[in-house]
Amino acid sequence: MQITTTHPQPEVAHSLDLVGRFDAFEVPSFDDIIASLPSETGQTIAVDLSQVEFIDSAALASLVRVMKRQREAGGDLILRKPSDPVRVIFELTKLNAAFTIED
Amino acid sequence: MSTNARSSETRSSETLSLYREWVASPITDPPVYSVVIPAYNESERVVFTIGAIATHVSGLGQPWELIVSDDGSTDGTVGLVEDLGLPNLRVVSDGINRGKGAAVRQGMLAARGDYILFADADQSTPITQFELLLEPLLHGAAVSIGSRAADGATVANKSGLRTALTKGLNLLVRSAIGLPYLDTQCGFKMFTRSAVHDLFGRQLIDRFSFDLEVLFLADRLGLDVAEIPVEWIDAPGSTVSPAKVALEFLRDIAQIRVWAAQGRYDTIHNKTRSGSEERKTLADHNYSSSA
Repeated sequence: MQITTTHPQPEVAHSLDLVGRFDAFEVPSFDDIIASLPSETGQTIAVDLSQVEFIDSAALASLVRVMKRQREAGGDLILRKPSDPVRVIFELTKLNAAFTIED
Repeated sequence: MSTNARSSETRSSETLSLYREWVASPITDPPVYSVVIPAYNESERVVFTIGAIATHVSGLGQPWELIVSDDGSTDGTVGLVEDLGLPNLRVVSDGINRGKGAAVRQGMLAARGDYILFADADQSTPITQFELLLEPLLHGAAVSIGSRAADGATVANKSGLRTALTKGLNLLVRSAIGLPYLDTQCGFKMFTRSAVHDLFGRQLIDRFSFDLEVLFLADRLGLDVAEIPVEWIDAPGSTVSPAKVALEFLRDIAQIRVWAAQGRYDTIHNKTRSGSEERKTLADHNYSSSA
């Protein structure tokens, strides 16, 4: 999986674009990048999932951890443009209601 | 927005719309495709795999069915799948753990599609490879087998041990049983309905080496088998024990030869089912609900 961090936008402190398969093999890299981001109280992180082909339980758990951490600090995790299979997986697991998802 | 982006978005919208139709009501026409997922204690992975498969195959625009063939799971896999409540998703199970070969046979014989794929629950071969296997069947082949060793295949994250095991097994297969395939064990194989009847109707092995038996039978029956290079990712959490599988292979190669000599493969003994043995209620079995 490729992970690209992009320039901050007005509404988000950090934006990450993920490409490929997001599974247990890739979670450590994703977690490392998230941990390396400068953190400030109340910041929001956006993750673009439009190029993610498949997501597994480990990846979903990682996203839940990031969401909880950001919300506890007064910010949020925004998931942007999930691909069809990723959107369907969020729906089947009913986690679409828990995340902030933007199209 | 670029033209490519717009056409990709349109495709995406159509795929999602077809998926929403598929989950909303039972198909009315006979299925063109069936996808069978053999499952043993797959509660952590099966919903994700169902999501990926359901999205992609619905997007092909044909009536199709999805079958989870449970192998006596004790981790709540069956309940988890049934709780999804998808009208074109069936669970078949007798609640007994026999082995992958038995689970695949059970699912394949329950399938009603013209073209029937079995795909491992870990999505190690992504469902996006579906059309690659379908193509030869549309042009007369009876069986398409995904291959990690054929020219053009891509393999990622495979451990050294698993690479060595696969190479060893394939060498063994080619020398001991005379099959020409570079990879007999990829968990992504597609059959015409007629081939399912001929092959899984005769298949006897309940363990991992059933693939080998099925290909041996296809060779004996003179069926046209296409070996197709696929993308393969060694998915985390594999439940395969390399040493156990290698020992089973040695035993089963000998067993296949004995059964063939005894004429055990001359007749069809496993009948295609109409679905009458599907599980109807979870209460029939004592599955754990600790998903």
